[in-house]
Amino acid sequence: MSTDLSHFKDAFFEESQEHLTTIEEGLLQLEQRPGDIDLLNRIFRGAHSIKGNSGMFGFSAVSQFTHKMESVLDQLRSSQMVVTVDITDLLLQSLDCLKTLIDCARTGASPDEAQVEALGARLDACQGGTATGQQRTGSTASLHAQAPDMHRYTITWMPPEYLFQRGLDPVQFIKELGGLGTVTRLTLDAGRLPALAELNPELCYLGWTLNLDTAKDLTVIEAVFDFVREDSTLTIVDNPVETHTSAVASEGTKPLGEILVETGVVSQSQLNQALSQQKKVGEILVEQKVATPEQITEALKKQSEIAAPTKKAETPSIRVDTVKIDRLINLVGELVITQSMLSDLGSRFEMSQLPVLLERVAQLERNTREIQERVMGIRMVPIGNAFSRFPRLVRDLSGKAGKKIQLILSGEETELDKTVIESIGDPLTHLVRNSADHGLEPPDERLAAGKPEQGIIRLNAFHEGGSICITVEDDGRGLNREKILAKGVKQGLIAESDKLSDEQIWMLIFKPGFSTAEKVTDVSGRGVGMDVVKRNIEGLGGTVSIKTVTGKGTTFTLKLPLTLAIIEGMTVRVGQDTYIVPLLSILESIQPKREMLKTIVGKGELVNVRGTYLPLMRLYDVFQLEPELSDPTKAILLILETEGERVAVMVDEILGQQQVVIKSMEQNFRKIEGVAGATILGDGTVGFILDVRGLLNIARQGTAKAA
Amino acid sequence: MAKTVLVVDDSPTMRQMVAFTLTSAGYQVVEAGNGKEAVGKVNGGAKPDLVVTDLNMPEMDGITLIKEIRKMPALKFTPILMLTTEASDDKKKAGQAAGATGWIVKPFNPEQMMAVIKKVLPG
Amino acid sequence: MATQELTSKDSNQQIGSTTDGSQFLTFQLGDELYGVDILRVQEIKGYTAVTRIPNTPAHIKGVLNLRGTIVPIVELRTKFGMPTIEYTMFTVIVVVVVKEKIMGLVVDAVSDVLDIDKKDIQPAPQFGAQVDVSFLNGIGKAGDKLVALLDMDKLLTDGDMHEAEKAAA
Repeated sequence: MSTDLSHFKDAFFEESQEHLTTIEEGLLQLEQRPGDIDLLNRIFRGAHSIKGNSGMFGFSAVSQFTHKMESVLDQLRSSQMVVTVDITDLLLQSLDCLKTLIDCARTGASPDEAQVEALGARLDACQGGTATGQQRTGSTASLHAQAPDMHRYTITWMPPEYLFQRGLDPVQFIKELGGLGTVTRLTLDAGRLPALAELNPELCYLGWTLNLDTAKDLTVIEAVFDFVREDSTLTIVDNPVETHTSAVASEGTKPLGEILVETGVVSQSQLNQALSQQKKVGEILVEQKVATPEQITEALKKQSEIAAPTKKAETPSIRVDTVKIDRLINLVGELVITQSMLSDLGSRFEMSQLPVLLERVAQLERNTREIQERVMGIRMVPIGNAFSRFPRLVRDLSGKAGKKIQLILSGEETELDKTVIESIGDPLTHLVRNSADHGLEPPDERLAAGKPEQGIIRLNAFHEGGSICITVEDDGRGLNREKILAKGVKQGLIAESDKLSDEQIWMLIFKPGFSTAEKVTDVSGRGVGMDVVKRNIEGLGGTVSIKTVTGKGTTFTLKLPLTLAIIEGMTVRVGQDTYIVPLLSILESIQPKREMLKTIVGKGELVNVRGTYLPLMRLYDVFQLEPELSDPTKAILLILETEGERVAVMVDEILGQQQVVIKSMEQNFRKIEGVAGATILGDGTVGFILDVRGLLNIARQGTAKAA
Repeated sequence: MAKTVLVVDDSPTMRQMVAFTLTSAGYQVVEAGNGKEAVGKVNGGAKPDLVVTDLNMPEMDGITLIKEIRKMPALKFTPILMLTTEASDDKKKAGQAAGATGWIVKPFNPEQMMAVIKKVLPG
Repeated sequence: MATQELTSKDSNQQIGSTTDGSQFLTFQLGDELYGVDILRVQEIKGYTAVTRIPNTPAHIKGVLNLRGTIVPIVELRTKFGMPTIEYTMFTVIVVVVVKEKIMGLVVDAVSDVLDIDKKDIQPAPQFGAQVDVSFLNGIGKAGDKLVALLDMDKLLTDGDMHEAEKAAA
C-alpha cells in the first residue's frame, strides 16, 4: 500500500502558522508570568506539534531545530530551568529562525544554515550541558541487511498476565509470526493456569512455544514482541539453516574500485588517485568533438534548473468552525423545504392561493438572505489574528528606540473578511511602527511633559454600521502642524499661500515622499510607507483618517468594508441605466439651486456646496448615456468623496439602497474606467458599481475619451 | 463491517493524515481533538475497535485518556496505540502502565502506521 | 425563451465519430454562413436585453447575467461592419468559451452543426467576404455550402475585449 500524504502539506503549513503564533504570544506573556505552567505547556505543545508534523513530511531541518527548542521548553516547564529575559530572547530569536525554516520548507529555498546552527548551539548550550540532540536513526536491521539465510527460530513466550487488559490478543502475535514465515510446531503451556475458582477471566495464564522457519532477521522476530517484551518471559533461539542460495555473492553491486582495494590488488590511495583522473561526461564529449562547450554549459544549466526546487503556488484555504458549517447545512435544508413547497404550490396553483404564495416567497427570501449572511460569515475571522504580531513588534521596537511602550489590544474578537485581514497586516504594522517611532516621546521628554514614563499604544477594532473601524492610538506628542506645513512647502506639495484646514494638513503625511522625521531611523522615517498605508487601505475600499491633539497623542482610524465581496450601495438611475454608488463614498445628495452652479471656461462646471466649489460631473456625459434630465436643478447631485477629494455627480434619480454582491468585470472582459465592478440587480440584469476614484481621474483628464 | 478507529490528536494536520491513511485502508474513523473530546465521543455512542491517540494534548492528555478508556467496560480490552515523538522509554512505560497496547513513533509513514495497526487489530 | 444546451461532452462524442475533420456550429449573418468550432460553444440562448457598458465601441452590446457570471456580448454584425437589423425571434446569443473566458456572440440565427473535413477547408481569400478576413481561420466547404470559419482566439484577444492580453502579446 502506498498512501500519498503530500497533499496535507498545505494543512501543515497553515497549522504551523497557528502554532507559531501561539508560541510567540506565549513567550511574550511568559515575561510577565514566568511561573505559569499552563502557559509553558501551551508553548511546549505548539513546538511539539510542529516537530511531530514536520517530521511526517520529511522537513528534517524544521523538526531538528524545533526539537532543540522543545528541549529547552521542556526543561522550563519541568522547572529544571528558570525563565529569564535571556532565555525568552533566545527562544524568540529561535522562533524567528523556525519561521524562516518553515518558509524555506514551503518554498524550497535554502535557509541560512550558519544562523540555524548558531542558534541551535545556543539552545543546546543553555540547557547546561544536558543537551539531548539525539535523533532516531534508522533501525540497524535494515542497515546491515544480511543475505537471506534461512533460520529456524524456537520461540518460547510466556506473556504477562495483564495482556488482555492492555488490549493485546495472543492470537495476534501468533498470526503475525505466521506472516513472517512458516510455523512448524506450536505447543501450549498451561502450567500457570490456576484452579478454576481462582481463575480471573481477564488475565492471561497461557504461554506458547513454537518453531518458525523464516529468512527474517532475529531483530524482526523480536520486533513482534515490542509491546510486551518488558514483562514477558521470552526466549528466541536461532538455529541457522544452511541453504545454497545464501552463498550468492552480493559483491557484484560494489564499485569495482572497492573490490580491488578489498582484494589487495590496489591500495586506497592508488584508487583515489585513479578516481581523481576520471573525467566528467561533458569534458569527454567536448574532447571527442561530439558536443560544443556551449552546448554542455547549456545542458548543465538546464540540469541545475531542474534540480532547483520549483516554487509551489499557495492555495489559499480557510479553517471554518464546524458550528458555522452545521448551521449552514440546516439553512440549506430549510431552503430545500421551501423550494419543494413552492414547486408543489406551483403545480396546482389557483389565484385563491395567492396569499400562500406570497408567504412562501417571503420565506424563500428569508432563507436566501440568511444563507447569504452565513456564507459570507464563513470568510469572517477574528481580527485578533492580525493583532497577534504586535506584542512582539512593540517589544522589539521599544528595545530599539529606547522607549518604554505598553501595548493595549482590544476588540480582537471583531470579525472581518479573511482577505481584508490578510491585507491590513502591513498597513497596521506601519502605523504601529510610526506611533512607536514618531508618536511617542523618549522617556525623559515624557517625564518633562508631566506624562508617565511609559507610553501607550492602543489598537482597537469595532464594528460601525456596515464597516469595521480599526484605530491605532498613541498618547505621544501629537502631529506638529508647523513642521508638516513647512515640509509640505519644501517638498512642493503645497504653496505657502495655501489655506489648509487641519484635516488637509494631516493628510499631507500620506503624500508620497513625505516624512518629517528629523532622524532617519531603522524603524521608520524613510519617507516611504504612509502613502503606501493609505493606498493599501483605499485599495480595500477603506479610508484613513487622523485625529491629533498636540501633546496628547494621535489616533489613526482605518475604516474598512466588512468584506470585499459585498458592499452597501445606493442605486441610481440615468435614463434607462441603473448604477450603484458605494454608500461609503456618498457624503450627501442635493438638488442644486440655479445660483449654486457656475461654469468656468476650460474647467467645466462647478457647484457651490456651502461655500466650497466642487466639480460637477454629469454621469451621462462621462458614460455617454441618454439622460432623462439635463438640467442640474431638476436632477440629483450626489456629493462623493474619496481620499479627501470631492466631486458632485449628476444622476436622474435615486432608486434606493441595497447590499450588492460585487462581480468582477475583468473575469470575462476588461477594466472599465469609472466602474469598480458589476453586480446583479433584483430583476436579474447587470448593474455597474461606480468607482469614485476612477470618476475623479476622468474628471481630471477632461471628458472621457469617446470610443 | 468496517472497523472503527478513534483518532485523537490536537494537531488537525496529524489527525487528518492519520484519518486519511486509515480511511484509505478501509477503516471508519472518528476524530477527536483531545482526550476530553474523545471520552465525549465514546460516551456519545462511538464504539471504536482501536484507539490511536497523541500524548501531549490540551484539556485531557493521552495518558489520562488511556486510563479513562480502560475504565469503560466496553473498551476494557480495546487496543490503544499512542502516537509519540518521544523515543524515550519513560513515555512508553507511562503509557503502558496506563493500559496502552503499544505505540507508533513519529515521524512515521502510512505503511509503518498500518503495520503497527495490523499488529494489534485482528483483521 | 428556449435554451438549447450543448455540453462539451456530447460534442466530444460526436467528434469521435468523424475522425478526419471537425464539427462547426454554423449561423447566419445576413446571407452568409459562419462557423465556430463546436468545442468552443458552451450554449445557445435566445436574445435577452443586455446592460450597456459605458465608453465601449458599438459592437460590444453590453453584459449579460449568465447564471451569476457577467458575460460580455458582442454583436458580430457591427463587429464585421455589416448593417444592423432589428432583432427577431431567431436572433440568438452563441455563448463561447475561449481561453477560459466566456463571451456571447449575437447572430441572426443558428443553422446546423456541420462536419467539415480538413481537406475541405481552404485559407480565407483576401476579398469576397464582407468580413475582415483577419478574424477568419479559413473557408470551409460542406456540400454546396460555404462556411466562413471564425478564429475565436483572434476575436477574443481583440483589443476591445481584453487590453491586458493585447499588451502581453
